[in-house]
Amino acid sequence: MAQPAPKPESTGAKVIPIKEASLYEAHKKIYARSVSGRFATWRWILVWATQIIYYGLCWLEWNGRQAVLFDLVERKFYIFGLVFWPQDVFYLAVLLIISALSLFLFTAVAGRLFCGYACPQTVYTEVFMWVEKLIEGDRPARMKLDAAPMTSGKLARKAAKHAVWLAIALWTGFTFVGYFTPIKTLASSVLNWQLGPWETFWIFFYGFATWGNAGFMREQVCKYMCPYARFQGVMFDPDTLIVTYDAERGEPRGARSKKADHKAAGKGDCVDCGICVQVCPTGIDIRDGLQYECIGCSACIDACDQVMDKMGYPQGLIRYSTEHALAEHWGSKQIVAHILRPRTLLYGAVLATIIGAAAVGLTMRQPLKVDVLRDRATLAREVEGGLIENVYRLQIMNLAEEPRRFALAVTGLKGIQLATESIVEIPPAATQAVSVRVRVEPDAGKRGSNLIHFEVRALNHDEVFVREKASFLLP
Amino acid sequence: MQRMIWVLWPSFVVAGIAEAVFFTLIDPQELYLFGEPVSFSRIATYSIGFFAFWALCAASSMFTCFIQRSSSEINKCPLPQRERPKDCPKFDE
Repeated sequence: MAQPAPKPESTGAKVIPIKEASLYEAHKKIYARSVSGRFATWRWILVWATQIIYYGLCWLEWNGRQAVLFDLVERKFYIFGLVFWPQDVFYLAVLLIISALSLFLFTAVAGRLFCGYACPQTVYTEVFMWVEKLIEGDRPARMKLDAAPMTSGKLARKAAKHAVWLAIALWTGFTFVGYFTPIKTLASSVLNWQLGPWETFWIFFYGFATWGNAGFMREQVCKYMCPYARFQGVMFDPDTLIVTYDAERGEPRGARSKKADHKAAGKGDCVDCGICVQVCPTGIDIRDGLQYECIGCSACIDACDQVMDKMGYPQGLIRYSTEHALAEHWGSKQIVAHILRPRTLLYGAVLATIIGAAAVGLTMRQPLKVDVLRDRATLAREVEGGLIENVYRLQIMNLAEEPRRFALAVTGLKGIQLATESIVEIPPAATQAVSVRVRVEPDAGKRGSNLIHFEVRALNHDEVFVREKASFLLP
Repeated sequence: MQRMIWVLWPSFVVAGIAEAVFFTLIDPQELYLFGEPVSFSRIATYSIGFFAFWALCAASSMFTCFIQRSSSEINKCPLPQRERPKDCPKFDE
């Protein structure tokens, strides 16, 4: 891990007082200064990309229904052409594993990329801070406004800010609920004031959470609530790219005239302007080294680069670098070469294998599922002609989004036959229970349980075929 | 306030996970409440389920908070210093 930069005044032996610090310091409001630059642009690109997807995807149509809908009422998840049933929970587990592994991989390569650019907390904070800047001005103006006594002008500004924030928050809540209950129906119920109590509750709950988290909690969510911030360290290694202050180049820091030869005066490149601290959304000083509060947003890199440009020094006093690179004075080529190392290769290989296996599984997935239940009431009975009959309930699930006709057949015993209808029609994406009677000659098998198989095949779709085990009882 | 957040936040996260796992595996309409099949809509059952999980997890967190108090915290005089009687052995604590 990066070493804290030596403070200029740390000379001689010092007694360090031991103080029991509270985990939660008294909160000082952070007025982050707005920043522009390469990384800020990337963040805005990701804000747009993620939010266009989030706010837009729920309005897309597919096969005459919402393209992405986690229909909790019907217990079916629609994702474009795929329909997932509770029986497909396996894929949910795979998705979670893929997400976790991706997080490991990205963190090992370049630290908290997710936090800095794509986490909803970052994204909504960025949006809310943009609104705040438009209405209340940048950092100095906001600090002045907050310190000033309440006037009608201040009240108007604060009210306007909260109105816009609440509008965004409620729209976010509405969109969120729109992924779980069809959004067009939801929209018309909102317009007609006919929203159900639970939908209303969840829209306001999610909206309130957005407003609170992005408007007020902000960096505290990352510092105190996020578990990832606490264990990120175990995924870092000396070759992980992190936002780093080059203490060797920067120290000793200090103010200077632009014309002066600071090197001759024994000074480093850091002009100690403090802008890197002002732009930090979590209010830390990156010059103290890597800290768990750092969300890797790179605002300090953008800010410092601008200062370096003004001073006529090379950029990159604060930059993405690795612990090894800093110690060994590596160039970017060597840093990139070290991205491929056993750890990342292993994560990558496992990730690729799981994604590949899941993709194969999904393409080979049968759009048909069959569960066989024995009828418990009648074990076996004798019917006309001396035949023995067993009764079953076949739960047939047609996962396809079109009505399909299925042919039922039964095998496993000599002369085994269905005494009921062998063709059933099932509506699109629906389950139907079919009662099936099966008959054999009394001497077709041994006494007791005999293994048989039900075969269900879609008519006109020969590849859609399921074979399920069952037992046939002979008295 | 801090204790409240310690209790409510982790229990919220765990309740969310519990909710997802529980209702992925179990259809709310197959549940029985006091011997009667659950008659609420699924959305209502999910929502009530979530709050029930949250309350249970919060109770667990609260208990953790309660038993992790140090002995000095438990033995401490509950009165503020100025209200303690002069001869109280814990007067100066």
